[in-house]
Amino acid sequence: MTERQTADRVLADALRVIADQDTHASASPDVEARVMAAFNAVAMARRRRARATVAGLAAAAAIVTAVAIPLWRSRSGEIARRSAQTQAATTRREVTTAFMPLVYSGVPIVDGHVVRMEVPRASLVSFGLVPVDGADGTQGTSSGTVLADVIVGDDGLARAVRFVRARPRAEERKDR
Amino acid sequence: MDDHGLLERVRRGDQQAFSRLYALYQSAIYRYAMHMCGAAAADDVVQDTFVALLGRPARYDPSRGSILSYLFGIARHHVSKRLAVRENESPLDTPDDVVDDATPLDLVSRDELVGQVREAIQSLPPAYREAVVLCELQEMDYATAAAIMHCPIGTVRSRLHRAKAMLMTKLAARQGAPLATTRPTR
Repeated sequence: MTERQTADRVLADALRVIADQDTHASASPDVEARVMAAFNAVAMARRRRARATVAGLAAAAAIVTAVAIPLWRSRSGEIARRSAQTQAATTRREVTTAFMPLVYSGVPIVDGHVVRMEVPRASLVSFGLVPVDGADGTQGTSSGTVLADVIVGDDGLARAVRFVRARPRAEERKDR
Repeated sequence: MDDHGLLERVRRGDQQAFSRLYALYQSAIYRYAMHMCGAAAADDVVQDTFVALLGRPARYDPSRGSILSYLFGIARHHVSKRLAVRENESPLDTPDDVVDDATPLDLVSRDELVGQVREAIQSLPPAYREAVVLCELQEMDYATAAAIMHCPIGTVRSRLHRAKAMLMTKLAARQGAPLATTRPTR
């Protein structure tokens, strides 16, 4: 073994002795206390932020509710007014049933439209109406359909329907 | 529970998990800091390292290494900041020129030799001291040391080789006789 190799080994042994001597060296207990205090402070701050977030969300939800409900009511009233106006305009020439609720009538509505469409004459039965060809009072078509006004919300869901028939000319003349 | 599980619990505010993590790794961080910037600063480095971990536990990426490596990375940053303010220290990433040739050492007692090696380690340029501390005193493999030192494995090997040569030169300069004439014991 050369002198250099022997010197390397002696140095390596000295380094191992140092490593062994330092094995149990550690930070002072004060450090652990300070670090744990920092942990508690961070954890408390996070909990506080979480509580603040929940409170903020609750406040936001309350504000949205406070604004949305009157708005929804006013829009609903507006839709009802529009329906009434439509009804008034057509009253002179048409006779309509009352609006009857459909499956999604319970879903809140912000805005909507009244859409006139032809529906199968047989659909009258599902609303308790009796179709009588030529004398059932509804305005029929030659293809076996009747006219209906459907309230459709801005979400595309139909809320209510009414059936429409033309007013007989004799009735119109009597009203005048 | 593995380290990653522990850190997950720390993220959720589990104090016991954090305490366990601290107990597992504070000593290794302390020893590294002690050799790199002295015992007086080592406490502060340990504290800064674990407080930094609290502030950013989510930044740990298991695919990039162990939690020990991650903690060493934070500790290294704090050590580097302390070394930077010392006039006689070079930054960790800019090694000084070194002398490769060792000279013979005189006969010294075993305890004296260990003490002198400690002092010689402290006098090494930081980049070389770090290689000795991680690979020899912390007994890390080269790959782990390279990940912590942000350098290739080859660089770790070469720094370690040069560091040992510098240690022998420093010891020989003190003694003027072959180092091989004495043997340290545990």
